Amino acid sequence: MTDQTPPPETSVDGTAKASGPSRRTVLAGTAAAVGAAVLARPAIVRAASSDPVKIGFIEDQSGNLSIYGIQKLHAAQLAVAEINAGYTLAGGPVGPGVFGSNGLYAPKPETLKTDGAALDVVNDGGAPSKKATVVSDDDEILIKSGENGLLGRKVDLVSADGQSNNQLWQRLARRMIQQDKVDVLVAGFASAEREAIRPIVDQHKQLYFYTNQYEGGVADTNTFCTGAVCEQQVIPVMKYMVEKFGPKVFTIAANYNFGQLTASWVRSFAPVLGAEVIGEEFPPLEVSEFSSVIARVQAAKPDWVMTLLVGQNQSNYYPQAAASGLHLPMASTINMAQGYEHKRFKAPAMANMHNAVNYMQEIPTKRNQDFVARFYKMFPQDPYLGQMAQNTYFSVHLYAMAARLAGTTDQEKVRRTLEAGWTVEAPEGSVFLDPGTHACSHYIRLAVADQQQNISFEREWPSISPWWLTRMGVNLIGKPEHKQYTPDDDPFFKMFAAKKK
Amino acid sequence: MPQKRRPNPLRAAFTGPHDIGRTPPGWALMGLILLGFLLYPATASAFSATNVAYYLLNIPMALGLSLLWGYGGILSFGQVAFFAVAGYVYGVVAGNMTADPTLGSILGILAGLGAAGLLALIFGYFIFYARVAAWIVPILTLVLALLLSTFLGLTAGSAWKVGDVALGGYNGMNIPSLQIGNFIFQDYAFYYLTVATVVLCFIGLRIRVNSHRGQVLIALREDPLRTELLGYDVRLEQLVAFVIAAVLSGISGLLYVTWGNYITPSVTSLAQASLPVIWVAVGGRDSLFAVMILTFLLNQLTYVLSSAGNQYALIITGVLLVAVMLFAPEGLIPRLIELGRKALRLKEAT
Amino acid sequence: MAEIVSLLYQFGTNAAFLLLAALGLIVILGMMNIINLAHGEFMMLGAYAASAAVHRGLPFPLAVLLSAVAVGVFGIVLERLVVRHFYGRELGALVVTWGISLILSQGTLIAFGPFMAPIAIPGGALTVGVYSFSTYWLFLMAICVVLLAGLGWLYKATEFGLQARATMQNAAMARALGIRVERVYMITFGLGSALAGLSGALLAPTTSIAPFMGQQFVAPAFITVVVGGGASVIGGAIGSSSLLSLVETPVSFLMGSFWGSIALLVTALVLIRILPNGVSSLRLRRRTRGARG
Repeated sequence: MTDQTPPPETSVDGTAKASGPSRRTVLAGTAAAVGAAVLARPAIVRAASSDPVKIGFIEDQSGNLSIYGIQKLHAAQLAVAEINAGYTLAGGPVGPGVFGSNGLYAPKPETLKTDGAALDVVNDGGAPSKKATVVSDDDEILIKSGENGLLGRKVDLVSADGQSNNQLWQRLARRMIQQDKVDVLVAGFASAEREAIRPIVDQHKQLYFYTNQYEGGVADTNTFCTGAVCEQQVIPVMKYMVEKFGPKVFTIAANYNFGQLTASWVRSFAPVLGAEVIGEEFPPLEVSEFSSVIARVQAAKPDWVMTLLVGQNQSNYYPQAAASGLHLPMASTINMAQGYEHKRFKAPAMANMHNAVNYMQEIPTKRNQDFVARFYKMFPQDPYLGQMAQNTYFSVHLYAMAARLAGTTDQEKVRRTLEAGWTVEAPEGSVFLDPGTHACSHYIRLAVADQQQNISFEREWPSISPWWLTRMGVNLIGKPEHKQYTPDDDPFFKMFAAKKK
Repeated sequence: MPQKRRPNPLRAAFTGPHDIGRTPPGWALMGLILLGFLLYPATASAFSATNVAYYLLNIPMALGLSLLWGYGGILSFGQVAFFAVAGYVYGVVAGNMTADPTLGSILGILAGLGAAGLLALIFGYFIFYARVAAWIVPILTLVLALLLSTFLGLTAGSAWKVGDVALGGYNGMNIPSLQIGNFIFQDYAFYYLTVATVVLCFIGLRIRVNSHRGQVLIALREDPLRTELLGYDVRLEQLVAFVIAAVLSGISGLLYVTWGNYITPSVTSLAQASLPVIWVAVGGRDSLFAVMILTFLLNQLTYVLSSAGNQYALIITGVLLVAVMLFAPEGLIPRLIELGRKALRLKEAT
Repeated sequence: MAEIVSLLYQFGTNAAFLLLAALGLIVILGMMNIINLAHGEFMMLGAYAASAAVHRGLPFPLAVLLSAVAVGVFGIVLERLVVRHFYGRELGALVVTWGISLILSQGTLIAFGPFMAPIAIPGGALTVGVYSFSTYWLFLMAICVVLLAGLGWLYKATEFGLQARATMQNAAMARALGIRVERVYMITFGLGSALAGLSGALLAPTTSIAPFMGQQFVAPAFITVVVGGGASVIGGAIGSSSLLSLVETPVSFLMGSFWGSIALLVTALVLIRILPNGVSSLRLRRRTRGARG
């Protein structure tokens, strides 16, 4: 790579279509540029109106969950730096329409034939058809916003460390809302963390983004859940696994809310998708020795295994299973995309793992490769850029886009603006924020790890909507709510509740 | 046994021998501190007052452990188990009675404290009447806390619903605020409730340790065999102290859940279980007053360190603990007082 | 047939896991009456040392030995600096070792980041019927037997063992007889630390190596120790780990690992009520009864 480093000011003012290397230097110079701008300006502009826009941000930067939290923090820092340097993501409100109505990207049909043989694999980055698409995956998604910062103000990321400690999370949320008076709160990895702070968020009507992949069901007027949910991940991956490996599935799920609820999705959709759940196992989070789980799986002889294991102790399952000679195909909705187990464990512990993800850093499209390059330019030491980091990145941009359109940071007005139905061009592809449920449709890809734990994407679904809350009759615009629905609230799931263990 | 004349218990609380601060300067200091806490909300925002209430609400649990460990010589590593039981039971009772919040709050408090006391009674019966060795008690109570944490973590499914309230597994349980009539204990009101509770617990325990039963407890710490030979039932005395400490933990638990409207199994995790021991050990375990002050200060310290994003918070706590145990094994405040007295004496001598 | 082999294998892995997790703790507790709450962090240090050594090209067995020595030396240093001030003050020792564990785990996080490079599980798999078994766990079971035999020999057949047992029974008398009690304590603490380091290194390939990994061993180790009791170190360790896994194995195989871990905890509580001084007291009680009769 050439080592041409133009002065930061020039690159900030450069065109949106700047070439790769020079655009990367934008971010290198961003901090310097912002610093220079602040220094250059006299104190006159320090009026009340030029107080920075505050984005409150709580993640675990230490403790057990820090491998996820630090990624998310860095992604948020990247987004804030871009906003302050005058950039935004492509996209805008399209009304409560459907995907593609912003004319940016059109879906492609599934690329696997029913016999599973002729794969139109896109793992070489492929060349998607330009027919019927206005913006392709190769086009630039980072465009000029027309101002440095937001509404003429600088954007500040007010971040705090939750230390993987729920009690501390609550106190930090109170501090952010009551003392720092943040304009928006972006926070939460584990569902427990989200549920710990959501009562406080609702009490103060705080605009709140939860950016993690999760079990679904949150219907809350003040909360926007921008990560993928069960219906977007469980059904695609099950469909693929049944076609490719057979109907018999054994579920191993962490014995807590996320694991239990996701397992009930697997159980309930098995009959519809032609699968058969022949065994279920719910190890407690504290368990780190899995010989009896492995023996039970071997005794049941499934065609494939659904692993919904969470946390450090439970990830020990993979090397132990591989060492015991258990080499069944595996499917999951969380592994690899969040905790980068394929990078952390020695091959072949994660070999033959399948996960329907909305993002992994290996996605071969140009827009993503540009994003990955921008990220590592700013954080060269980071080990991985995962799913929830990308969600955080586009969520921060989405907030800025909505506030800019609303012309204010008034939380009520920004929330109403977000409920206009937005398409945002994220690194994963086009994302649509559904107004009625505050959830996002996502570009889902089936990621597969090979024997060397390299990732390829075997199938894509350019837009899967989060339909379950709609099915439950949730419409937050007409009927404000503050609860989390579970499969128990849906009679469909009850039909399968008594299914054999 | 000989029945001596009974001193006025309230008088004994302030003049009795078993704590520091039993002379006029000590009373003046206590009065000043109390006055400071009573006046504090005048200068503070509702947010700051709520935060200070959080530092205060752990004090009853710490005082209970001080009674048990400092005065009775029984170390419990599982006080958080009673904290959690009280919190969960309050949440279930009050959460099921949202139609009548006043009654729900009152019944919730009674049920929560009752459950904590009952658990302590049963568990304490097993360990004290089995006369296990002293070193086993901390491990057993720690195992109790971890067992409870594991169990509560497993209550994720819909099977774990008590009435309308789901226990919620690791995601925890939402809990209504304390409410009497239309008055909800929030912000400043909650702050004053906490201050009043702490003061009452403190005075109550000062009365207790300076009473006859308190003397017996201290005798038992010094020499269980001799105490038994004097005709006291050691097992019963230990059990009673254990139950009192558990109920005090329960009081902290109730304050905690009504403060944050939320509880998770992580309140009985390993890290949380060790906190009361740290507060009591650093403060000076056989002084209720020292424990009270240090619990407040240490809670504030960890919060300030962590909210500043300081990753050294745990290390500082650890170093503090090791240093205090090495250089001031009786606790920081008793050590400081001793040093102060020495300095005074030196000055007088010269 | 295959089912029986599978159950035996699971029984063996459960017992080996409990034994490895508890061994260092038991040695220190049984001989010195010190509860080392930093035990989990000592195991973590062993795993870190092993990982560092393996990724510098050392063969795994050598790396394991190296970690045991390194953690043992670390233990002796710690004993000299801190722990020796707490002999006779068991509860004080408990608190101070907790402080050490906080410093070690968070310090490791700051110094080495949230993860250490993993170690591949050595060895392959054996197949019996539908089941297949990791040879590494079979090796760990063998190691446990060797370790227990070695400890038994050390304490029953050597000069040091005699001195250590004398010190354990009555330190004052031992000192009067010219035994250097301080030295016995120092060596014992070093030995316990080395065993913790060894266990950490041996279990490292089966877990992810992280600053807070020690916590996963704390509960099982304590349960094993409490059930084992302090009367006879090795007897207690064998008795409690095999008894506990005897309960845990069939329950988790038949009903799932959730009930397995509940069974483990309930068994522990019931055993403590029946035998307040642990499994090892059984043998002792019989011996004293025999002497009387």
